Amino acid sequence: MAQIKLQNIAHSYNPNSVDSKYALKPFDMTWVDGGRYAILGPSGCGKSTMLNIMSGIVKPSEGRLLFDGVDVTDETTSDRNIAQVFQFPVIYGTMTVHDNLAFPLVCRGYDKSFIESKVNEVAEALSLEGLLSQSARKLTADQKQLISLGRGLVRDNVAAILMDEPLTVIDPDLKFRLRRKLKEINQKYQSTLIYVTHDQNEAMTFAENIIVMDDGEIVQVGSPAELFDRPRTTFVGYFIGAPAMNLFECDVIDSNSIKFGGAKITTETDLKSVNGENIKLGIRAEYVQLMKSTAKNTVQAKVESVDDWGNHKLISANFEGNIIKVKVKREVEVPAENVYLKFPTNNCCIYENEILVP
Amino acid sequence: MGTFYTTLKYTAVTIWSMFVIAPFLWALSTSFKDFNSVTSGATYIPWVDFEPTLEGWRVLLRSPAQGGVNIVEPYLNSIFVTCLASFISILLGTLAAYALSRYTFKAGFIKNDDITFFFISQRIMPPVVLAIPFFIMLGKLGLLDTLLGLVMVYVVLLMPIAVWIMVDFFNKVPVEIDETALIDGCNPIQAFFKVVLPNSIPGMVVAGLFCMIFGWTDFFFAFILTFTEVQLLPVAIVSLNSSITPWWSLSAAALVSVAPLIVVAFIVERYLSKGNLSGALK
Amino acid sequence: MTLIASNLTTKGKEEFFLNDISFEMSPGKIYTIIGRTLSGKTTLLKTIAGLIAQDSGTLSFNGNNFDVIPVWKRQVAMVYQQFINYPHLNVYDNIAFPLKQRKVDLAEIKDRVKQAIEQVGLEGFEERKIQALSGGQQQRVALARSLVKNANILLLDEPLVNLDYKLREQLREEFKKIFSSKASEEAILIYSTTDPIEAMQLGGEVIVMDEGKILQQGSAKEIYENPRSTKVAEITNDPAMNLFDGEINGKKITLNNEVILNIPKHFKDLPDGKYSFGIRASGVTLDKSGFPFQIELAEISGSETFLHLNNDQIHVVGLLDAVKNFDIGETVKVSFDIEKLYAFGSDGILMSSPYSGIK
Repeated sequence: MAQIKLQNIAHSYNPNSVDSKYALKPFDMTWVDGGRYAILGPSGCGKSTMLNIMSGIVKPSEGRLLFDGVDVTDETTSDRNIAQVFQFPVIYGTMTVHDNLAFPLVCRGYDKSFIESKVNEVAEALSLEGLLSQSARKLTADQKQLISLGRGLVRDNVAAILMDEPLTVIDPDLKFRLRRKLKEINQKYQSTLIYVTHDQNEAMTFAENIIVMDDGEIVQVGSPAELFDRPRTTFVGYFIGAPAMNLFECDVIDSNSIKFGGAKITTETDLKSVNGENIKLGIRAEYVQLMKSTAKNTVQAKVESVDDWGNHKLISANFEGNIIKVKVKREVEVPAENVYLKFPTNNCCIYENEILVP
Repeated sequence: MGTFYTTLKYTAVTIWSMFVIAPFLWALSTSFKDFNSVTSGATYIPWVDFEPTLEGWRVLLRSPAQGGVNIVEPYLNSIFVTCLASFISILLGTLAAYALSRYTFKAGFIKNDDITFFFISQRIMPPVVLAIPFFIMLGKLGLLDTLLGLVMVYVVLLMPIAVWIMVDFFNKVPVEIDETALIDGCNPIQAFFKVVLPNSIPGMVVAGLFCMIFGWTDFFFAFILTFTEVQLLPVAIVSLNSSITPWWSLSAAALVSVAPLIVVAFIVERYLSKGNLSGALK
Repeated sequence: MTLIASNLTTKGKEEFFLNDISFEMSPGKIYTIIGRTLSGKTTLLKTIAGLIAQDSGTLSFNGNNFDVIPVWKRQVAMVYQQFINYPHLNVYDNIAFPLKQRKVDLAEIKDRVKQAIEQVGLEGFEERKIQALSGGQQQRVALARSLVKNANILLLDEPLVNLDYKLREQLREEFKKIFSSKASEEAILIYSTTDPIEAMQLGGEVIVMDEGKILQQGSAKEIYENPRSTKVAEITNDPAMNLFDGEINGKKITLNNEVILNIPKHFKDLPDGKYSFGIRASGVTLDKSGFPFQIELAEISGSETFLHLNNDQIHVVGLLDAVKNFDIGETVKVSFDIEKLYAFGSDGILMSSPYSGIK
């Protein structure tokens, strides 16, 4: 259990070459002890690099790393007291489940009775107690992944448990069981959990705080609700949510309204200092409301298609060349031709140069 | 800090390189010596420590009647036999490896892995075991002391290497690529030549390299299966020996016999360093 | 140009890969095969391609016996879930390969490859080596190669499953556009997936497979509204449809001896007795006057929260129309919308659905 602080960390894989590129751009970050975090981003955004810097597999080309105020940048992985779970189960095939779980403690020379009690405790938490004497090689993929996880938990005082897309190989049916276990473990052991994924649903379910990354840069840090309701950049609006956030070009009219096509839309944002060229209106498909007739903040659009998504319908409506996506419940009646779509003032986000105006 | 370690690295590499090159340099300098320079104490640098002479080299070109050993013919024989045997081994070995990788064979309890092992096990046998059987077989076929006979024997010895390396290589090419080639309109033979083979060139290069090394340096079978008509290079070099060991011509001969391998290694190094062969090298 | 399968059967050591499969596929349509892993989808696609021969049964295309035609003459195209391209060729040559194989005239190859590259959005990538491309780009190349042939049957075996979540969404949209233009060219498109949402979003005719059998075939709407059996309901819903053992007794439904509900209109004429009842997560929600349950896990998805709920007897997944985080073990009150209940017989077959009443 520790507070982890990343000070001015940056990383480049070939720092001395002429066209060196940052895999991870300089940033500061503090991970609170016992917190549940997710690092979310597309492939290649640097999330695995960040995780590997924290665990010590990669030494950052710039910056310092502090655990509870102690500088551990130059320490090896084993000295840092970190548990890491990878995408694919890492188990010692020649040993039994019991020995696999005991291994980290045996390596550190703990006393036998302590090892036994810890192994049993963790095995019970992960529902592996019936399999302790079995050879690890013969288990299913998700059982093997549980062992990988268990090995990180037997150590009492890990600073943090780092997980790099750990549920990728797991069947969808069983992913739920593992996600639940992880949340339970966090509640029980109060260890800091950091979970790397490209799947927003996993991130939103699991974490209290999500760090969204793109192209080596941290784009936004916030709770699932914050990321959904007020994405800090248009990228976050695109990346979080299915479908992606509606984004339309618009112009500022006065201190709190914009002109969208031929319509005036009032927002809660203070637009006094906004004077740039690149202004966008963002609103989630879930928040656009279907109205019976025209009203304030409402546009009339022509229905182009209605996609059946099972529990929902996705309406694509054309307003002066802009396609507005609206997500409604299956039962909702959608007019065949024209719809009136309201943009509630509190759900409108205004972006200047792709960044949210607060 | 950085420069200290860099200096250390380069020093270590330099020392090791000298270690490796020293024997060659020694052989090179010895090949230019004559009887006196060799026997009267150690001498190193030509012109400084001793008078260089080309006698050691000339001996290799003189025919036996004139007191030399003409290594030109054995040299050419070795090149011919090694290249031909390697070529045939790779040809047959690659085809066999492809079959073992892609198709399932079963005869009783014998399956693909068993057949592959059967091939590989040929290399585990001590050569001595094969000496007499090959001698008798070639004798009955009238192929003792002939190039053809040697080629046949070498194919038997070298093909397992090709099979061994190529099976592993083919297993790493996903079978879906073959399938896609079939779907794209290739029949199985075209799929092999147009798609699988071009992707296996690094493996074939490695297999070729190993075959050539083993074929070129073999002394045992060359010695047993040839007498007068045909001589291969290793045997010819050994026959340089007489009551006085001719260090100078032996050195020259040694350098001359290693030279082709070094040339091939340089050519192949391009493939090796690309990392394409990480799986093929065992 | 219809593809007809009759009683295709392929058996492994103990299990059936294909178990008496019969169907008819018409040109110009998309067929989505949905099923769990190992349900036989890949085997079926490979059998249609000709890579595997079925143990028994026949395949015919355009009235001709397909079985005697080898793979390379069948005019099909296939995209795999692993990104399969020819590693020794660049993007242009990869896409041109099938045309070169068929000895198409060079000028025509150039045109068709250009068109395919535009369709998948890879302009400018012609000279690149395959290894230099990202996963999504490699899959686009594979798709372009399958489109360029104008094959009669286009097979896609879970092509998006190895891609990032967001990339999957994006490519699915693109696929739809490409497919609608392909469909008008009279090709048969067969797309396999394990994801019910993907099946819904692609539209087209859905074929539900499990353990080598076809369980139901129909429009996406039909399969959603009237799943023929509990198995179909499990496979075609994400999260899976909640299923309970229960009975109808007089005026009440009892689920798992616990929850007692009124009888909805569409169950009116069902006789008393034992049934399996199904209800989607969207029919289960929090309500102050509901039944007490403990929260096992709250899963946030966009603007909604899926609640995994538990009491001693019943395990159910519900849906909350808001974003809220709960502690594990927290007690809440849950209600079931009886208008959304399905009734399945003890053999698992649908007996009454909210959309079409009693069967």
